[in-house]
Amino acid sequence: MTTSIPSAETLLSFEQEINAIRDETLSKVGQADADYIRRVIRFQRGLDLSSRLVIVLGFIHPLFWVAGVLMLALAKILDNMEIGHNVMHGQYDWMNDPHINSRNFEWDIVGDGDSWKRYHNHEHHTYTNIIGKDRDYGYGLLRLSDDIPWRKKNLWQFFTYLNLSLLFQWGVAYHELAAERIFFGKRRKESHLPISRSELKSAFFSKIGKQVFKDYIFWPLLCFPVFWSVLLGNLCANLIRNLWTSTIIFCGHFTEDAQTFSEEECKNETRGQWYYRQILGSSNLEGARWFHILTGHLSCQIEHHLFPDIPARHYPAMAQKVEQVCKTHGIPYNTGSFAHQYLTVVKRVLRYSFPDKAGQEPLTNH
Amino acid sequence: MTTMTDPALSPRSSGPAPLAAATGVGLRRWLASSLTQHDHFSAYFEPLIQLFLPHWSTAGWRARVLEVRTELEDVYSLVLRPAKGWAGFQAGQYVEISAEQDGRRVSRIFSISSSPAYFARTGLIELTIRVQDQGRITPWLRQHFAGGGLVTLSAAQGDFIASEGSAPLLLIAGGSGITPFRSLLQQLQRQGSARPVQLLYFARHAQHFLFREEFDRLLLDMPQFSLILLNNEDHGFISAEHIREYCPDFSARDIMICGPTPMIQAARAVLSELAVDPAQIRFEYFGAAPIDMQRANASDTLVAFKRSAINADVAAEPAQTLLDVAEQAGLKPVSGCRIGVCHQCICKKESGVVFNTKTGTYSDTGSEDIQLCISVAASDLILDL
Repeated sequence: MTTSIPSAETLLSFEQEINAIRDETLSKVGQADADYIRRVIRFQRGLDLSSRLVIVLGFIHPLFWVAGVLMLALAKILDNMEIGHNVMHGQYDWMNDPHINSRNFEWDIVGDGDSWKRYHNHEHHTYTNIIGKDRDYGYGLLRLSDDIPWRKKNLWQFFTYLNLSLLFQWGVAYHELAAERIFFGKRRKESHLPISRSELKSAFFSKIGKQVFKDYIFWPLLCFPVFWSVLLGNLCANLIRNLWTSTIIFCGHFTEDAQTFSEEECKNETRGQWYYRQILGSSNLEGARWFHILTGHLSCQIEHHLFPDIPARHYPAMAQKVEQVCKTHGIPYNTGSFAHQYLTVVKRVLRYSFPDKAGQEPLTNH
Repeated sequence: MTTMTDPALSPRSSGPAPLAAATGVGLRRWLASSLTQHDHFSAYFEPLIQLFLPHWSTAGWRARVLEVRTELEDVYSLVLRPAKGWAGFQAGQYVEISAEQDGRRVSRIFSISSSPAYFARTGLIELTIRVQDQGRITPWLRQHFAGGGLVTLSAAQGDFIASEGSAPLLLIAGGSGITPFRSLLQQLQRQGSARPVQLLYFARHAQHFLFREEFDRLLLDMPQFSLILLNNEDHGFISAEHIREYCPDFSARDIMICGPTPMIQAARAVLSELAVDPAQIRFEYFGAAPIDMQRANASDTLVAFKRSAINADVAAEPAQTLLDVAEQAGLKPVSGCRIGVCHQCICKKESGVVFNTKTGTYSDTGSEDIQLCISVAASDLILDL
């Protein structure tokens, strides 16, 4: 599915107006943002530590266990999304803080932060939804566009999708490493990667080792009499986090109307064309402030793709302006409620489970 | 603070750590990164500790600003009380102070202008600071901390320390380069030292000399101390004549020089002309030492890649990103998108100003992380690469 690009004049004026929104917001970034992210981190640390205690109290009443698991899941969601994802995008690098910066931050998830930055920040954000370049498109498992040839395994891809969601952190860790290439791929003579394959592999296994040690060995052993209950609690918290992050991320790029692009179309693109592609390839979710925070403001996926390194708490306000600019330039702006957007994701996964029928209208509006 | 020993007497060097200790450190770091995703437990707990101790930081010690004292119209002293645990200093050393300016951690390096003896007695140190023209930090510090506040202080660093023993000293100061010498003189006075000291103090104008009254008192108190004030208006820049005339026995003295870069370079040239043994001379630049390289054109900037010990001469036109400069110099920094999105090419800039091509803004002069692929040198730079 590809789209025709608006005229050069339209794109130029569009680019200028999007730049103006960026500059206006950048001029406001300061103390309030530093205070905000510190507050979120402080809350997350408190929640992380107290949840471990509350899970143990499950021996008094199972409800403690349930509450502790939910608290730990929330702590992990905040760590991964509002803190980790945004900090590792460099949104807070201007603070010059030794810990809150994209170079040093590491998150509570099995995927190694440096590998994630290498692939996600670079490939996915530069080549968003370009089939063949953006490896995050369907994660190599799902067929979500008719640009990808149908194969038999796509018939049961809805179940693949459910599995991927539950095991999302493992899928992402493996995928961002480009593990297919590292473990099974051909060795290129001239690698453009700044680090070697063995370093990549060791980062991958080292991070997995640390995470497994923490959630499935250290904490359960520390609370030895309730070993299994703590282990199960940690497992559940990880699953809840996986399900939540994967659902939010699928809503950001794989809704019914999210478009894809070919490499040809994107050659020598201007900043305006790049903005345009980011908007067409992403979709937003509407909701309350707490909802935006829980998604790490990926509910404003469009703004995140336009301004990946502006502190995300500004996205909802920017979204109103971006939507207005899109309207005046006749550019589609994909936004809707969580329930509605998620339904279209499910439709899309199901729709592309089946081969194209000759003459069938593509789902996407041009 | 009463238990504070005089740091000048306690050597701080320690031998290589035993293997067992090294393994212990490795294990602790692994545990910390497994359990907290931070290399040190303290980094994970920092936000929680700050609830009780505002501005507490793993990057240094807290210090309270007690007073901002005006020395001259454009020079002031910060009087600081470092938190317990700060290890003290030797006369002539410097510290880095960091503070938060509109959410952003900014830092500057200053020599300590008070003596270790004074710190041992009162628990206080002083930093004497000249307001830089168009500076972002020096005017702000003065105004922001007028009513007190908290800053972060590094451990004392630097080896601009008077030689051991009692060999006579010749101190050559330029402008606010006087600050480490004030520390040294106070210390000698406090110790009742009989070491002969000759201070040659250069400044632009007669009104620009700092600590005049204090030095007058020292002159009364320390007969072996003498002071010559030389302002550039009446006496010109430093010359061999000055040394010969005001300190005829210079070749028998240990010599220390502190001041602006051109002044230090001139003083060293003069001393070399006078055939002084370089082993007798110690000197300290404000901030970064100048990059030791000739420029091809006056408008070129010099970029020093410190870790690789490579310097590059960068022409002003056409503007080149630092990533390109580094790669042309044969370095292979980690990089990715080359358009400022992926943040992989971040590198620590130790000093100098860069222009950010994405935001169209100039950086601060101090140490901070920059993205190489969207930064262009706007002054000479030192990069940790």
